[in-house]
Amino acid sequence: MLEATGLHKRFGTLVAVEGVSLHLAPGEVLAFLGPNGAGKTTTIKMLAGLLFPDRGRVHLMGKDPHRDPWALRHLGAVLEGNRNVYWRMTALENLVYFGVARGLRFAEASQRARNILEQLGLAEKSHTEVRHLSRGMQQKLSLGVALMHHPELLLLDEPTLGLDVESALRVEEMVRELAREGKAILLTTHQLEVAQRLASRLAIIQRGKIVLEGRTTEVLGRFAGEHYLIELETPLPPERLAALRALGLEGEGPSYVYQGDGEGLWRLLEALKPWPLKKVARAETDLLEVFLKVVGRA
Amino acid sequence: MLDLFWVEFKRSWLNLRRYPSEFVGAVVTFSILFLLLFLGARFLAGPSAEFGERTEALLAGFLLWTLTLFSYSSLSFGLSEEAQTGTLEQVFLTPYGPIPLLLVRNLAGLGTQLLLMGTIALVLLLITGARLSFTPLLLLPIMTVLLGGYGLGFAMASLALLFKRVQQLVGISQFLLIFLLQYPLEGSGWLAKLGYFLPLVPGADLTRQMMAKEATLDWGLLGLALINGLAYLALGIVAFSRAVRAAKRRGLLFGY
Repeated sequence: MLEATGLHKRFGTLVAVEGVSLHLAPGEVLAFLGPNGAGKTTTIKMLAGLLFPDRGRVHLMGKDPHRDPWALRHLGAVLEGNRNVYWRMTALENLVYFGVARGLRFAEASQRARNILEQLGLAEKSHTEVRHLSRGMQQKLSLGVALMHHPELLLLDEPTLGLDVESALRVEEMVRELAREGKAILLTTHQLEVAQRLASRLAIIQRGKIVLEGRTTEVLGRFAGEHYLIELETPLPPERLAALRALGLEGEGPSYVYQGDGEGLWRLLEALKPWPLKKVARAETDLLEVFLKVVGRA
Repeated sequence: MLDLFWVEFKRSWLNLRRYPSEFVGAVVTFSILFLLLFLGARFLAGPSAEFGERTEALLAGFLLWTLTLFSYSSLSFGLSEEAQTGTLEQVFLTPYGPIPLLLVRNLAGLGTQLLLMGTIALVLLLITGARLSFTPLLLLPIMTVLLGGYGLGFAMASLALLFKRVQQLVGISQFLLIFLLQYPLEGSGWLAKLGYFLPLVPGADLTRQMMAKEATLDWGLLGLALINGLAYLALGIVAFSRAVRAAKRRGLLFGY
């Protein structure tokens, strides 16, 4: 659905993006992460045909948006830091306007706009001018504008920024639903817990280069490594703990950590017998930890 | 495209209906401006000066200037405003491409511009007691002036896209429009001949003659005015198209 290969962009002496390649299949949510100034927005603008790459190619459904503007018919975008909508028009008028501007017929756009307002929970605000809507509502409306023309690919730059908890969860659910419908979604966000909940794949960009890419579960698994949490009913006495330290047990109890392979874990559990166990589990990592490790290392 | 025209027309109409103070403000400002020019000219000419037919000519030229000014400046002001408020990129995400969309936008905004010019005309006719001739055929030379105005508008919008803050330049260049709209085509010297090649001049001359002197439509001059208007529109669009490519290359579509 989206194929971007070898994208390069330089502004004067600053190399903003260097050799970035991304691909997205139907139904996939790709979290595109990176610190401020890493090249996320520059990449997104190149994908959307708003910025020419110095080198590299972009294909949306097989078409190049830089040569064929009708490729944009397949793309919907919520761009960060932008209003994305006209403040002097109502929510309904904005949706109809942008629907037609993206190639829908007027009657179809009017019908679709009403459905989207319902879906976004904004039906009551249909006839309210955008300048009177809260920031959260404006953000939801921007998402609605991006969805108006049934695009197969969505570029969502910080779609939950500034939303209250309930609205953010609603937008998250919408993103999940859209992915289930088969839309390909590229999501950038600094809210890593949102990215972890939504993304099937992730890519981290740092100083213009992709430094990590992979399926979310695989990446998290890889970074979790061979760590196990061992929780006992009561802490071990000092002499027993001292003996078990030699087998790799760490911590002061009653929760301990074991770092090592499966065989070593069984040896440790054998040595612990018959001390009452409460829980043994493989330690999990979260995206924040991965992000900090990768960005710090890069 | 028809649907696009309809939503653009609705957008400009909604702006007018929801913010009537801007419309009233424009009518009052332009009316006062004309009266100041008119009274100023009378003061300079002395109390015994009789303007006679010249009032009509002055008024016709002034009304044409207001209409051309809107067609000329609305695009660059609009783009600057959209770059500032953050809707410009969404406009550029249209599969129609920015130029067809902006052309439709110009055409759709014509209705409100004509309404504004009509209201200013009515107010000034009532105040000055002047009489102007408005025949339906007058729309033809006005259209040729508007074509040229939109062409210059696209050229100025190119600068707005690349340099963003061009309001000062638009303000100063209004006076260039006055010069072009009042440029005399009469005579046989090279200056008169040059007028046929300058933007707006043939259409403006024809419009002035028809409005102020009740002259009949000169079809030959109308043909030349049409060629002139289309040529400047094409030049403006070419300049704008190059500016869009430069803006996309340099990352100037976003940020203000």
